[in-house]
Amino acid sequence: MSRGSGAGYDRHITIFSPEGRLFQVEYAFKAVKTAGITSIGVRGKDSVCVVTQKKVPDKLLDQSSVTHLFPITKYIGLVATGITADARSLVQQARNQAAEFRFTYGYEMPVDILAKWIADKSQVYTQHAYMRPLGVVAMVMGVDEENGPLLYKCDPAGHFYGHKATSAGMKEQEAVNFLEKKMKENPSFTFDETVQTAISALQSVLQEDFKATEIEVGVVRAENPEFRALTTEEIEEHLTAISERD
Amino acid sequence: TTIIGVTYNGGVVLGADSRTSTGMYVANRASDKITQLTDNVYVCRSGSAADSQVVSDYVRYFLHQHTIQHGQPATVKVSANLIRMLAYNNKNMLQTGLIVGGWDKYEGGKIYGIPLGGTVVEQPFAIGGSGSSYLYGFFDQAWKDNMTKEEAEQLVVKAVSLAIARDGASGGVVRTVIINSEGVTRNFYPGDKLQLWHEELEPQNSLLDILNAAGPEPMAM
Repeated sequence: MSRGSGAGYDRHITIFSPEGRLFQVEYAFKAVKTAGITSIGVRGKDSVCVVTQKKVPDKLLDQSSVTHLFPITKYIGLVATGITADARSLVQQARNQAAEFRFTYGYEMPVDILAKWIADKSQVYTQHAYMRPLGVVAMVMGVDEENGPLLYKCDPAGHFYGHKATSAGMKEQEAVNFLEKKMKENPSFTFDETVQTAISALQSVLQEDFKATEIEVGVVRAENPEFRALTTEEIEEHLTAISERD
Repeated sequence: TTIIGVTYNGGVVLGADSRTSTGMYVANRASDKITQLTDNVYVCRSGSAADSQVVSDYVRYFLHQHTIQHGQPATVKVSANLIRMLAYNNKNMLQTGLIVGGWDKYEGGKIYGIPLGGTVVEQPFAIGGSGSSYLYGFFDQAWKDNMTKEEAEQLVVKAVSLAIARDGASGGVVRTVIINSEGVTRNFYPGDKLQLWHEELEPQNSLLDILNAAGPEPMAM
């Protein structure tokens, strides 16, 4: 914003513009999109899956050090879209919080409680002048003992919602349109269907067929509710299944 | 209490009795004194139940963080070092002796003894608790390097049952935990299936049975 009705209101995050907007928070959302990555999450009957792009920006980089998939506990996974540096700080705090929860209350931190905690932290960043919002949208996933598979999305404004399926990043809107069609009948996807819906949603919005090494897939299944990333071979199998299906 | 940790050729066997007493009173005759810290590390607790429990709880918490931040299981050495840190820093307040045992990919099966003051000693085997006083001689005689899993577990069960027979503060059942590259196995040996060791304690119906019985056999090994 250079000059206009909102001039000056983007300097301080704690100040509303006359239109009732917080520009710094809006810029944080923009930063998430500018990172150029799209992530997708889909919830099935007894599993939950996230897919994100794995762009290695430099040929000299070690492939294995580039990731947006983070285990928070053995049972909860987080996929970060946006500024990875911000994500790492968020992930470290979330991990400490989840371990502390396990210690104080004697059971694993539930997914929705962790999502709320992350969102509450982001909300605080919108009111303190000496802080800045995180340029990250975090999707948190896990299979809850009582409520089954859960998928939550937390954004820089401090919103957190549970989703049947959702997306974040550059092509968020396109992906959401795609997913809305797929989820309209409230399908209860099997594990394979869940993973393949998520991958094909990403394929559809990016309009390209990617290699197994170009995406990351994180899953949690009810039968063994530990978070894990699929191996390249497993992703390959799903990609083949998708191309044979179409 | 009697607690034991023994290394064998592929891992470790931990063993413990199950008596928790408050003075003369047996508060729990089936306690579990072998506590899980991580997937591959367990600890045998002796001394104050409250103190050993709170130390284990803190160490489990630290190991959870350590495991998730490194993306791989914590080693037995790290676990022992964390226990040492708490046991040493709070030595004026704690009355607990612990034996940590487990398996990791770097060093295989390892046993660490952490007695009262907070020293850590890596040992081929460790014994602890009030019942261990009765076992030093037995272990000097019976412990061998490079035992099989079965030999090691038999040694542990026999040792705990011997201590139960002599130590008033040990009793109940024998619990064991075996940890190796394959994973963890827990076993349970009920008190009425254990050897009594003193034949004269077998139940007798009348004085005549005792007088007619054969003379006492030397202790069977």
